[in-house]
Amino acid sequence: MSELSPQRRHELKLAFFGRIGAHVSHEMRNVLSIVGEYAGLLADLVAAAGNGRPLDCEKLAQLSGNIAAQVRKGTETMGRFSRFAHAADQRNASFDLTSLVADVAVLAQRHLARAGCTLEARLPDGAIPVTGDPFGLQHAVFSAVELLVEFLKKGESATIKLDAEGSTAVITIQGRATVTTSELSARISRLSPESKQWKGRVDTSCTEGLLSLAFEIPIQ
Amino acid sequence: MAHEKVLLVDDEQEFTQVLSQRMEARGIVVDAAGNGREALEKARAESYDAIFLDLLMPEMDGIETLRHLLEINPDLQIILLTGYATVQKGIEAVKLGAMDFLEKPAEIQKLADKIRQAKTNKMVLLKKRAEERIKGILEAKGW
Repeated sequence: MSELSPQRRHELKLAFFGRIGAHVSHEMRNVLSIVGEYAGLLADLVAAAGNGRPLDCEKLAQLSGNIAAQVRKGTETMGRFSRFAHAADQRNASFDLTSLVADVAVLAQRHLARAGCTLEARLPDGAIPVTGDPFGLQHAVFSAVELLVEFLKKGESATIKLDAEGSTAVITIQGRATVTTSELSARISRLSPESKQWKGRVDTSCTEGLLSLAFEIPIQ
Repeated sequence: MAHEKVLLVDDEQEFTQVLSQRMEARGIVVDAAGNGREALEKARAESYDAIFLDLLMPEMDGIETLRHLLEINPDLQIILLTGYATVQKGIEAVKLGAMDFLEKPAEIQKLADKIRQAKTNKMVLLKKRAEERIKGILEAKGW
């Protein structure tokens, strides 16, 4: 990975922020559209009741439950986006690595779904306290997921896992890929510049078609 | 007058389910597809007055689906209905042959108006094609 100018690094970060922002806005529009349709359905039922059709209490309770579920989904999405956005303000912060990887995994799931693939997150139960640049780490992990998606076989399930041993935590992104060493070498130069800082490691041998990208993070 | 028939193409199943119920309550016949491939299969098998198409879908996105749908039938009235709305995408879709580009969430009345407009467009195009065919036959016979 060649050294990039501060201006170029800034542009890449901004582009990443934009991609995630667009993704979240799409998610939220979907949530609001569904809530909007449920509200419309309620209005239709009220209008029908005005014309003498009895209100179905069971149906109303079901609609209310569905709206509440969408509000929960939207609240979770905005909570994740809020954590992501605030991470951009902190270059050297103490944060929980387990929560950060869980958030990136959810953000990346739709990205994989669009490629016809799925992403499974394997995370430890407890928090792993680390110090560093949380936004940079999210950028590094997401860019690794984007790299993997380019070479992932359709219908495959990728995994993102977090393991902690001693004083080091390792994030591994893995999936069955079709890629030659030269293709991979060319593509690795486009990983986020923060990957270096987090000791981004790529198993270029792609053993038996399994491509792995890993990051090592010192535990506090 | 026959009911309007539409196809909703969106990977958000809950959205298509509720919107289908609301359209059906207004006398519109609704089919749904969860992805582009399914939409192409349905468009080959059925005739629709309008097709509502999402942009961001797994495997085949809305723009690619739009291209393939218009290859099946260039007269199809396709309306992009999406949460991933940018002016650039809207222009691209309309240039490719989409009838319109709407942002989610959209009012049911607006959708119903678009469906009526789409049906009118379809009828005009059907009439035009029929006239062209008749003209071709007459010219071939030297009349």
